[in-house]
Amino acid sequence: MKLKTSVMAFLAIFHFATLLAQENSVSGLITGSENGEPLSGVNVLIKGTNRGTITDFDGNYQINVQSGETIVFSSLGFETQEIPYTGQSTLDVTLVADLESLDEVVVTSFGIEQEKKSLGYAVQEIDSEEITKTKQQNLVSTLQGQAAGVQVTNSGGAPGMSARIIIRGVNSLDPSADNQPLFVIDGVPIDNSTIESNGTPRGLSNRAADINPNDIESLNILKGAAATALYGVRAANGAVIITTKKGKAGKVRINFNTSIGFDEINQFPDFQETYGQGFSGEYNPDSFWPNWGPSMEEINQIDPDVRFHDIWDDAMRTGVQIDNNISISGGNEKATFYGSLGRLDQEGIIPFSDWGRTSAKLSGEVKFNEKFKFSGNINYTVTGGNRVPHDRFMERLVYWAPNHDVEDYINPDGTMKTYGNTNPIYDARFSTFEDEVNRTVGNLRFVYSPFEWLDLTYLIGTDYYSDNRTEITPGPLGIDGENPLSSTGFITETRINSRDINSNFFITLKNAWTEKLNTTLRIGNDVFERDYERVDATGVDFVIPEFYDLSYATQISNSQDKRKRRLVGLYGDLMISYDEMLFLNITARNDWTSTLPIGNNSFFYPSVNLGYVFTESFEQPDWFTFGKLRGSWAEVGKDTNPYLIGQTYASPGVYPLGGQVGFTRFSQFGDLELKPEETTAIEFGTDLRFFENRLGLDITWYKSNSKDQIIPVPVSESAGFSTFVTNAGEIENRGWEFILRGTPVKSENFRWDVSFNAAYNQNEVKSIREGIEEIVVGSQFGYGGSSVTIKLLEGEPYGNIFGTSYSRLGADPDNIYLSEGLPIIIGEDGFPDRNGSQLVLGNTTPKWIGGLKNDFTYKGFDFSFLIDFRSGVEQYNQYDNFYSAFGIAEYTLNRNETIVFDGVLADGSPNTQPVWLGQGEGPDGRNYGAGFYRNTYRTISENFVQDASFIKLRNITLGYNFQDNVLNVLPFESARLSVAANNIILYTPWDGFDPESFSAGAGGNATGLTGLGYPGVRSVFFTLNLGL
Amino acid sequence: MKFNINKYKYVILALVFSLVSCDDYLDINDNPNNPTDAPLAGLMVNSTYESSQNTFRMGNITTNYVQYLASPNEASASDVMEPVSYSGTWSALYNVMTDINDLIIKAQNEEANHYEGIGQILMAYNLALAVDAWGDVPYSEGFNFVTVTPSYDDDAQLYSEILSLLDSGIANLSMETTASVGGDDFIYNGNPDQWMKFAYMLKARYLNHYSETGNYDPTAVLSALENGFESNDDDAQMEYFVESINPWADVAIDNANLFLGGWISEQFIESMDGTIYGVEDPRLPLMVGATDEGEYIGTVNGAGRGDAPEQGARSVLEEGDFYTTRQGPVLIATYAEQKFIEAEAAFGLDKARSYQAYLDGIRAHMTKIGVESSEVEAYINNPEVSMGVDNFTIDDIFKEKWVALFLNPEAWVDARRYDYNYEDFDLPENLNPDLNGMFLRRLAYPDSEVSRNGNNVPDVTLLDPVFWDE
Repeated sequence: MKLKTSVMAFLAIFHFATLLAQENSVSGLITGSENGEPLSGVNVLIKGTNRGTITDFDGNYQINVQSGETIVFSSLGFETQEIPYTGQSTLDVTLVADLESLDEVVVTSFGIEQEKKSLGYAVQEIDSEEITKTKQQNLVSTLQGQAAGVQVTNSGGAPGMSARIIIRGVNSLDPSADNQPLFVIDGVPIDNSTIESNGTPRGLSNRAADINPNDIESLNILKGAAATALYGVRAANGAVIITTKKGKAGKVRINFNTSIGFDEINQFPDFQETYGQGFSGEYNPDSFWPNWGPSMEEINQIDPDVRFHDIWDDAMRTGVQIDNNISISGGNEKATFYGSLGRLDQEGIIPFSDWGRTSAKLSGEVKFNEKFKFSGNINYTVTGGNRVPHDRFMERLVYWAPNHDVEDYINPDGTMKTYGNTNPIYDARFSTFEDEVNRTVGNLRFVYSPFEWLDLTYLIGTDYYSDNRTEITPGPLGIDGENPLSSTGFITETRINSRDINSNFFITLKNAWTEKLNTTLRIGNDVFERDYERVDATGVDFVIPEFYDLSYATQISNSQDKRKRRLVGLYGDLMISYDEMLFLNITARNDWTSTLPIGNNSFFYPSVNLGYVFTESFEQPDWFTFGKLRGSWAEVGKDTNPYLIGQTYASPGVYPLGGQVGFTRFSQFGDLELKPEETTAIEFGTDLRFFENRLGLDITWYKSNSKDQIIPVPVSESAGFSTFVTNAGEIENRGWEFILRGTPVKSENFRWDVSFNAAYNQNEVKSIREGIEEIVVGSQFGYGGSSVTIKLLEGEPYGNIFGTSYSRLGADPDNIYLSEGLPIIIGEDGFPDRNGSQLVLGNTTPKWIGGLKNDFTYKGFDFSFLIDFRSGVEQYNQYDNFYSAFGIAEYTLNRNETIVFDGVLADGSPNTQPVWLGQGEGPDGRNYGAGFYRNTYRTISENFVQDASFIKLRNITLGYNFQDNVLNVLPFESARLSVAANNIILYTPWDGFDPESFSAGAGGNATGLTGLGYPGVRSVFFTLNLGL
Repeated sequence: MKFNINKYKYVILALVFSLVSCDDYLDINDNPNNPTDAPLAGLMVNSTYESSQNTFRMGNITTNYVQYLASPNEASASDVMEPVSYSGTWSALYNVMTDINDLIIKAQNEEANHYEGIGQILMAYNLALAVDAWGDVPYSEGFNFVTVTPSYDDDAQLYSEILSLLDSGIANLSMETTASVGGDDFIYNGNPDQWMKFAYMLKARYLNHYSETGNYDPTAVLSALENGFESNDDDAQMEYFVESINPWADVAIDNANLFLGGWISEQFIESMDGTIYGVEDPRLPLMVGATDEGEYIGTVNGAGRGDAPEQGARSVLEEGDFYTTRQGPVLIATYAEQKFIEAEAAFGLDKARSYQAYLDGIRAHMTKIGVESSEVEAYINNPEVSMGVDNFTIDDIFKEKWVALFLNPEAWVDARRYDYNYEDFDLPENLNPDLNGMFLRRLAYPDSEVSRNGNNVPDVTLLDPVFWDE
């Protein structure tokens, strides 16, 4: 109390003193050009002096000034104005919004705001409007196409399904490693893992999907190691820095938005609709074979009532999503707040798939006094839904004969209606998998600034979630003649609890040594702990049909998994700036981890980066507005997962048996001398702006090498283990990133902004441990031995797909790549010869990715579209393999033709032998068995490893902001209507569902194996936003 | 800017303190999920269970080669004797040998002699499964992580090791033990006498494998048998569980659910239905399923099912028969097999004993799988079976032993020792052309070994025999 009084007294005296010194006083109102609203916090400075003030929350200012002096008005996001003072007593100013402000501030590590021009490395920021405009419900998906070098892949079209993000390529040789960046909310890291279902893929969420995109103010992508050196080991793959919305001083604002969207499949494969059920061209309405029967014409001669249903369309429905959000924010100079509530409901295109999210957020900031600031933020979400077994659904749809109505799936007694094969809709309805995640993410920030040159900051955050999963497959209902989904049925209850705690204390020392030389030194300590526990209980064989409870199952089995990981870091960060022209940044960090052997668990890594704004140091032509060169060098250490060191025993899942628990030596042994991985990255770039920022070009070159990789090396099982976790191998990524942006038109009413980004990445596995030939990342089934495998080989890029191919004449047996140009060898039987040895048929990592964004505004209208693309990428099309094996693909229409295969005989002479493609006895009297497609085509992986490039219209939006004339008669401050469409495929050579979908989920690295993934969808949205 | 050390001494102290306590704070990496030590009983449970599983796994690999089963798919790789990588079975064998290795070491430390003895017998059994399939395999540098690339030991030397393991096992089981084996032993429920009989029976089996070599000593085989099984009650077998059903029953159930497998070879059907040997064997309906029409029709090895539909037109393993009952046993070594070993060893020494053992072997197997005694006698008394000592040949032993070893991997050892010389036993259709019209003599080393331990893997072809197969 006493302190407060004296402060007040001191301030009063100071204020009085300034009054005395007044010669002239000017006051005024500052407003923004866009909506005419008053601007608070605008800097008002007398040029060449340090006399200044800021506007209050009503936009008013008052300052003493002498004639002839110049007043400078500046504010973040607006173009700075300089006005020579001519003696007036009132000076109102309208500031023009500046979208490419040079003094752009970006948020880097720990929520620290930094001027972008001072950075020696590439960052890219995406603001709230750009996020919500995408209408993506998964925070990760909102980044699609928006940032150079950032590859975001939706794992499928299911509600709440995970999306994967990779920045500048895969950095780890470990097939199970998480190559995704660290997610940080308001300075505190959060969990973005994807915990997939056991058994058949269910398409679960990555945990960042728990965050409501409507609560985000901005997203920043820190790409290089330099940008992330301060976050330490967990940000070795980059970081996505999320800043959430905060209240602003001024009147209370209420925003409401509601949106409804409709989904449908964005691309279907080409199907044949001529041939019906049966095999060898013989019709059989009970046959397992859906499409190897005779033509519909012939079938209708046997049974005129049989139809050919479009089961691929019939089995699906239109997806619907409804999203409602309300936020309220406001405050005064001392305290601000922001609160929001959101509810999203989504139903997917596969029947019975749904997902929802309820989110509530409250944040606030209190300035107790000039020296002490406190802010807090709490976010509570409930997410989850029913995850249909989509991979199995699609597989069963493959087997379902189109001569039967797939929608007629249930008998009145509740049993499955079928001619023989399992009905996919029945399975989707009754084989349920429901998850519910309750999550609290919260953080507190205390800032104490006892002196102008010193800040003490303490940040503490927690991310706690429980993930409850219940999977049920019913057993028989006990009704005669039923086709049960399972002969026993089972229930699995899964409980996952995860808690992260981050504590971070840092001291910031700032000093201006001279007018030109400024330094900022930051020293801090941070501590991270993750406590994870998972319990699974499975009950098999229900005593009472349809009564699903663990207590009423005949057999019970359990498992438990506990994990704890701790990290302690100590870091320093020195920033030196000289004359707004040279910026040098040196960081150093030491981490201690619990996951490496004591003695090897401490590791130090430095970074240095330099930015040089050359346009400040010598004169440029008028059109050359700004130019900067930047370079950085950084190291990042990386630890590993808990409990990898040494030897243990485990009890295999099959036990207990007969009341006995068996033990086996755990197949993995962790090197007792395991040491941290080390990534070294260098980066050079330039940022050039022309014509008053109307045109900008940003180019970056980078190279990063990760060595001493901690990988589970497969070793000979005879050694006593099948994997040895050790430091082995190196991987390199290098590439280019380009960003070109411009404002071709800028007039009072019309504005056009365009931005294009593209990135090229080249990846090479530099070495693997001696004696180890290859590392298998993943493999996927194909009929007739056409299964493919993604393998890493020394000297080769990440993601090569190996499989069988057509034999080629004159192919070099030592070449691991398919010699596509050489002629195909035709066997003595007249059919192409199969090469069973595994050759590289493609690569699953895109060479080029990028996006093109256009924004047009005309008065109240705005129109924008975002296109993104990827190229130089191949994938295994498992659907196509199945479609050929079951006669579903359109190209199997030629099944009754006799052709001569293009190719040569083993002696090099051209093939001339005509062969029939059908099944059984051909027109030539020869028995062709199961026919070309089953005997040959489906067994050749080469046929199914296909170009998966695409160009997509990621989003197109047309919006209208109601203008004053309408708003004046409505009780709203603002109102906006918009219509948008998403995820429309503009071009792809891929024959099948959306090539983006893959069944492994965001947690896996085998993205090039599509599986029978949840088909991608395109969506249309109608949105209304209202502001009070 | 002045830095007042007094003012910040607490901050500095706190930082220093946090560093000092760091080691304790971070010392949390002991795995709470997996123990660092395993109880003897737990290792015994897994060692017996996995030994039974390995019998199935190796049996599953070799059934096509001995033409018990045939693939429903034309030119299926295993059916046409192409090199197939059996990484999974290799891994299962080495995993259980690693566990047995730990069981033996731990039992030695604790002087639990019965555990040690059983461990040695199981080690011998699993090692022999590996040697009989692949020849040279890693052993002396194995299990204890002395190297990540263990060298391969000579197969003949490994056989000496197998026999010496069996001798040590018998010796240990004759001694006192600090811990008795009980329900943790899924094979004999801890009965040391039966384990010793099993060890002697295995000794006879492996000594008999030398039949084609200069080291064959039929007297030694017979003398080992003296202490072997005395009846079907001594059979080494493991009965399965509600939670984990018999793997052959699983094959049958999968096949019924259209995951095709377990189709009976035409050779087996025709050997049993009188086509080849002129006598109908009453065991056939107890061993395999009939078609929808109630007939027994096999599938030709390598030819696939041709025009036959997935179900109902061919004989397959069907759930509920002797070998395919959910909780039924997998047979590891039987009294019946022992009788045929006796018949073979005695053939050149005492033909009458040999003939009697042959008949006893048939009877033992028929009784085992539940043939009614009248049918047993009718079959045995058929002149095609009871041909009399004078007309009795070694072929008769191999034929009946082949039937009695249904689905067991030991049948492939016999087939190779016998040079696949069974009546009407043809090469599969679509035979792997690299075999030059011959049957294969071994398995290819699995891809996992080639990629992980390539420098040590012997360079062999499928036609290179194991040492006892000359």
